[in-house]
Amino acid sequence: MRGRVLLIRLGQMVLVVLAVVTIAFFVLRLATGDPARLVNPPGTPEEIITQTRERIGTDKPVAIQYVDYLWNAAQGDLGTSFRGAQSVANAVFGALPNTLSLAGITIVISATLAVALGALAAWRPGSILDRGVLVWVALAQATPAFWLAVLLVLIFSLNLRWFPAIDMAGWRSFVLPVTTLVVTLSPILIRTSRQSFIETLREDYIKAARARGLPSWRVFAVHGVKAASLPLVTLIGLQLGFLLAGAVVVEAIFNWPGIGKLILDSLASRDFPMIQGGILVAAVVFVVLNFVVDMLYAVLDPRVGAARA
Amino acid sequence: MSDALATVEQTALRSGPIAAGAGRRILRSPFLLVGLVGVTVIAAAAAFAPLIAPDDPTAQNLANILAPPIWVEGGTTDHLLGTDVLGRDVASRILYGARNSLFVAFSAMLLGSSLGLITGLLAGFFGGRVDSILMRLGDVQLAFPFILLAIAILGVVAARPAWLLIVVLGIPGWIVYARVVRSRVLAEKEKDYVAAAAAMGAGPWRRLFRYVFPSVWQVVPVIALLDVGFLIIMESTLSFLGLGLPPPAATWGGILADGRRNMVVSQWLPILPGLAIVVTVLSINLVGDGLAAVFDSRHIHRGLRRPFSSSVPSASPVDTDSEALLSVRGLHVEFPLPGATVKAVRGVDFDLAAGETLGVVGESGSGKSVTASAVIGLLDPPGRITNGAVLFGGEDLARFSDRRMTTLRGRQIAMIFQNPAVSLNPVLTIGFQLREAIRHVTGADRHTVRHTARQVLVAVGIEDPDRISRQYPFQLSGGMNQRVMIAMVLAARPRLLLADEPTTALDTTTQAQILNRLVELTEAEQISLVLITHDIALVSEYADRMLVLYAGEVCEFGPVRQVISQPRHPYTRALLESVPRVEDPAERLQVIPGELPDPRRDRVGCPFADRCPHVMDICREVTPPRYDIAPGHIAACYLWASEPAEAVAT
Repeated sequence: MRGRVLLIRLGQMVLVVLAVVTIAFFVLRLATGDPARLVNPPGTPEEIITQTRERIGTDKPVAIQYVDYLWNAAQGDLGTSFRGAQSVANAVFGALPNTLSLAGITIVISATLAVALGALAAWRPGSILDRGVLVWVALAQATPAFWLAVLLVLIFSLNLRWFPAIDMAGWRSFVLPVTTLVVTLSPILIRTSRQSFIETLREDYIKAARARGLPSWRVFAVHGVKAASLPLVTLIGLQLGFLLAGAVVVEAIFNWPGIGKLILDSLASRDFPMIQGGILVAAVVFVVLNFVVDMLYAVLDPRVGAARA
Repeated sequence: MSDALATVEQTALRSGPIAAGAGRRILRSPFLLVGLVGVTVIAAAAAFAPLIAPDDPTAQNLANILAPPIWVEGGTTDHLLGTDVLGRDVASRILYGARNSLFVAFSAMLLGSSLGLITGLLAGFFGGRVDSILMRLGDVQLAFPFILLAIAILGVVAARPAWLLIVVLGIPGWIVYARVVRSRVLAEKEKDYVAAAAAMGAGPWRRLFRYVFPSVWQVVPVIALLDVGFLIIMESTLSFLGLGLPPPAATWGGILADGRRNMVVSQWLPILPGLAIVVTVLSINLVGDGLAAVFDSRHIHRGLRRPFSSSVPSASPVDTDSEALLSVRGLHVEFPLPGATVKAVRGVDFDLAAGETLGVVGESGSGKSVTASAVIGLLDPPGRITNGAVLFGGEDLARFSDRRMTTLRGRQIAMIFQNPAVSLNPVLTIGFQLREAIRHVTGADRHTVRHTARQVLVAVGIEDPDRISRQYPFQLSGGMNQRVMIAMVLAARPRLLLADEPTTALDTTTQAQILNRLVELTEAEQISLVLITHDIALVSEYADRMLVLYAGEVCEFGPVRQVISQPRHPYTRALLESVPRVEDPAERLQVIPGELPDPRRDRVGCPFADRCPHVMDICREVTPPRYDIAPGHIAACYLWASEPAEAVAT
């Protein structure tokens, strides 16, 4: 990728993050009124509220607060929690790996599943196998993550006692949250993979490869799979946001110490710097991951790679 | 941005206006019917919840909390689905939950779709700055999971009225509608009738709403339907997190959250509302997918396998030229498509001797390519040989299994295609594909394969084989790619090569180079060549014999010189007259008036009758037999019935 293109792309990434942070900042402030009142119980004397205001810095005009926030954030300082003196940056970066590991494992399993099932279904469109895959996809697509998580806990934790119901401790605790997220993420990937395989198999180069006498399995596995899986890379990029949203729910249910749970807990306690920090980091991670996905696509697809080289 | 929506965007882009016979297809699709029934029942339940619900969904009865449903021990008919932790009737709460969920989801969909429809229409129709601003906005929207922001907003506001929920859920959906509508508008506004309206003085707004809108709005309902399914899940998720409609309103997510807190005591409590969500969303998705499939004009199943099976009728006894390498006898190929069967090849016969070149000519749709694909057993699905024989070295290939054909392809019979740029896999290097083909055919070791690859590339006139090997097909010119294809054939040394318009996609100077190279090689290696083309000049230059096809039938077959100098079929003459002559480029080209007959219809008589200047009554009544004009030269035309050459019906 040429320097100029890279620079434009980086600029876009910064803009997106800035837009998200700005919207979050102002919407949160405007929608809720004075944070100093919110963090104190109703009926708190005015002097205490004024003190709180000075402590958390909301006595200044909102515009100044906004500029201060951006200035500090640019230097890596995301402020301090309204509750107690915990550094937001520490809390957020402590939670981030837990969410990323959950999402990472989910993506790897879902993508593998999608290529395998999509290929199986596309091998004979309209066959029993294909229909089976499509029914599974339809069912999985209609199943809300939070319900599935509760069902899994009910069956595998409460009744069978195979896996822990909450908390992150050892590999066993990954099984139920990851299963939930895979069932949420994989349907669209399987569908796309199936469609992509069907379309790829109609390509002339597939017919040409067969005309060279290559056996069907080889045409499928060598000439089909690489071309057919490319759209999945882009799609995974587009689904990251959805995965992040799914992670919020899953983290809430499994008491998983990730970003989603951090934001939810901060919402309950109206801890604005924490909410803000969580959203900021989520936006950065999201934008960076999308960038990585695009780079990966350029590496995998020689046509794109050459166009940018 | 969302699971369902991304799929929908793909499907909706493909679906055309409602195709003919859509109604019948709806009735024939069981999934769609099940979905329709489900949606109707649930919508009715939601609409009439106050009438059907046995109890007030908010009426508490602390004396009867967590009562089990009727099928569990201790359940009573008073509370069919039991009661919750406040003693409220679960059945009633689920019914009212349907009402609330559907109301919020449907309203949010209306908001998102209206926004998207309007922006999509404007962006697509006016283009320019409006378009780029709206689409950049869309990019930002897609670049971040707005649901996180929604959660944050709903989590901190003091009250959550239904309208706020609708706004927060609905607005992010606009981009999906906008993109689909925009691309539809872009396609539609270029069409003739819109341009005609503009020429007649219709202003932009009138053109937009009177002409473009009616053919564009149809994509919206299918997206909207699947959007509602997605929004129901989102609404329930928010309610589950305690960010939906505030209590005591009954919501599916809320009931489930209550249930989860008490699931150790009553396990059915979280299960029931989840089932309601799954059934609802599944029904909606079934209807949405079903409708998208009904609207999808490309509703044809295709697969990898040669769908040809044992159902070939037994071949009639065939007399074959014993010297022929390839004898095609009475070949019929059909493509059973939904609604009609295309009969692409209708009784084609020809012979090809070892080392000989056969030119096959005819306009598009004459069955040239289909015949070649049938010979190598690679008809595009659902094409199948319905009758006839393809005798290769004395064996009938039409009766071969795909596995057996695979052993012949490449080694004995090879094929090169019209467009070299798409005959090579775009994501694999030239070298990889060439070596793969060579290794497969020769079974040689890595080193030998590498050596052979270099050799054949040089043989087809590539000066820098190592560099070319490392490149991808898109980095090479069409001529270079076709050389690579020929190199693959050369490495395999087959007995028969089918070349389907091998130079049509190339520029004129390259054409001659490639063809010369091809013919040199086939002559040197004694490879029989079937050269398919619509260019008679090529045939006269390179072929020994010539087959003229029209609408899947043989018009004329014979030695090239004889056919060209004395064409006997009016169609062959017309083809020859349509060739521009170098000597007299100013001479007006003869264009054959009329069109090919409908390939779906059965026909009687000569297929060329409607366009033939010499047509007689009998031509429309009885299919003309093939008359022997001279040894090895036949023409299927009644004009030769009275000639000295004796009429022989085949």
